[in-house]
Amino acid sequence: MINYPKKPSPSLLVLIGIPAGILFSVFSFLQIGFNFQDFKNNLSNRYLVTDPLFNPKWAWAWENSSDALVETIQIAILASIIGCAVALPLSFYASRATNLNKYSYFVYKSFLNLVRTIPDLFWAMIFTVAVGIGPFAGVLALLMFSLAIMGKLLSETIDSIDPGPMEAAKATGASHNQSVFTSALPQVLPNFTAYFLYIFELCIRASVILGLVGAGGVGRIIETQRIFLRFDRISPIIVLILVVVILIEQFSVWLRRKIL
Amino acid sequence: MNIPKQPLNQRIFKYSLTSLIVVSAIWSASGLEITLDRILNAPAQIATLVGAMFPLDLSSEAFERIIPKVFESLFIAWAGTVIGAIFSFPISFLAANNITIGSVNRVIKQILNGIRAFPELILAFVFLPITGLGPLTGTLAVGIHSIGTLGKLSSEVIEGIDEGPLESIKASGGSKINELTFGVIPQVMSTITSYWLYRFEINLRASAVLGVVGAGGVGQELINQLRFRDFPRAGTVLICTIVLVLTADTISAAIRNRIIKGKTIKS
Repeated sequence: MINYPKKPSPSLLVLIGIPAGILFSVFSFLQIGFNFQDFKNNLSNRYLVTDPLFNPKWAWAWENSSDALVETIQIAILASIIGCAVALPLSFYASRATNLNKYSYFVYKSFLNLVRTIPDLFWAMIFTVAVGIGPFAGVLALLMFSLAIMGKLLSETIDSIDPGPMEAAKATGASHNQSVFTSALPQVLPNFTAYFLYIFELCIRASVILGLVGAGGVGRIIETQRIFLRFDRISPIIVLILVVVILIEQFSVWLRRKIL
Repeated sequence: MNIPKQPLNQRIFKYSLTSLIVVSAIWSASGLEITLDRILNAPAQIATLVGAMFPLDLSSEAFERIIPKVFESLFIAWAGTVIGAIFSFPISFLAANNITIGSVNRVIKQILNGIRAFPELILAFVFLPITGLGPLTGTLAVGIHSIGTLGKLSSEVIEGIDEGPLESIKASGGSKINELTFGVIPQVMSTITSYWLYRFEINLRASAVLGVVGAGGVGQELINQLRFRDFPRAGTVLICTIVLVLTADTISAAIRNRIIKGKTIKS
């Protein structure tokens, strides 16, 4: 008889967590209300979508959406640049390594967390009401979006920097601000650039749907055609967007490789 | 003082990059007709709107409408994540280049890339005529997008495993299936589970937004209140969403931490 080592007994978290997770999953599916009969009836509607979706009207899309597509790219460029520029000083305040004041650290960190909880389209809705319909609201919305992501990523990077250079700067008589500027900032600058490119990609993707709530960009064209179920006009626009997104991603991957 | 200079080609690259950023920012700002005037007015306009939201609408009638919608968003996000997790798990094995042969995993990877390219919102309004106004559409949209993202992340985890255990299973006469169940899955399960939870956090934000096109969730409520200029109630919707997202984020982050770092032993 071989003596197998005994399997460790599962922890309390696993014992409670897995059944709870399964129960919650079943409960959510019930709440969503999947009705197979309704689904089957509705499935006959699918020609309403699929027929026009696969008969794209290229000429129409090219003529009407190219301006809006440029607007989308402009929104993403402007928002990501300003958002990341604002986030750069903020994330130094929101990191324990560079902000010695416990209270102001907490305030900045909570501010960034709060901005991050509100989804991008909610920001867009708020800003369209506040500053009026148009691309300016979109820029503000994506600005908050990129500010929040950059703040989180960068402040966590600053948390884990090598404290050695900062100590060395202080030993030569630098003040705290000087040591942050000369020793902490250069350490995170490559990461900052990489995050910036990543956020720019996210902004391009996010700016596509901003127009659905009236915040400018190509989403405006999609929204007006969507209401009339003109999927034959929407599908070529979506393909155009995909091409642009892929091109920009390739460019940003190339640039990131060049920088790092 | 002699400070060494950066090599010339690096400096040229740096300056051209900086000028590219500045030029593109100016081009965008002029193209969008963003004037200094509008920028200076914006903070006051935003303050007016936020001011209009307070005092919040705390009547029981408002909560009776909002709370079910908030929970609907939660259910959409969770069910969508479950769909994504169940389908992406087997697919990620097919997409990993150390499990399947080259041509298969390349095709599967391209399919996953294709799925990921469509935002949830676009998937949602394409499904809308078929699955109807309501949370089902949102769940499908979130779920299908999650299959793409989770499939990519999980397959990358599988590609990074240690091959040692697989060899030892092979050496002791184990089949290909044994290799997967005893060699691969124990190594990757903890990371993949934490990715599922991470995806749930992202899906929660996505599902909150989906209501804009009528696919269920709290977004519908927010856009309606803003359209009818009922700002106090819109403020309540926002606060409820923030509370939900913060709570879910905190719980999920704690569980992820526990999964990745293991039990902390108190000394």
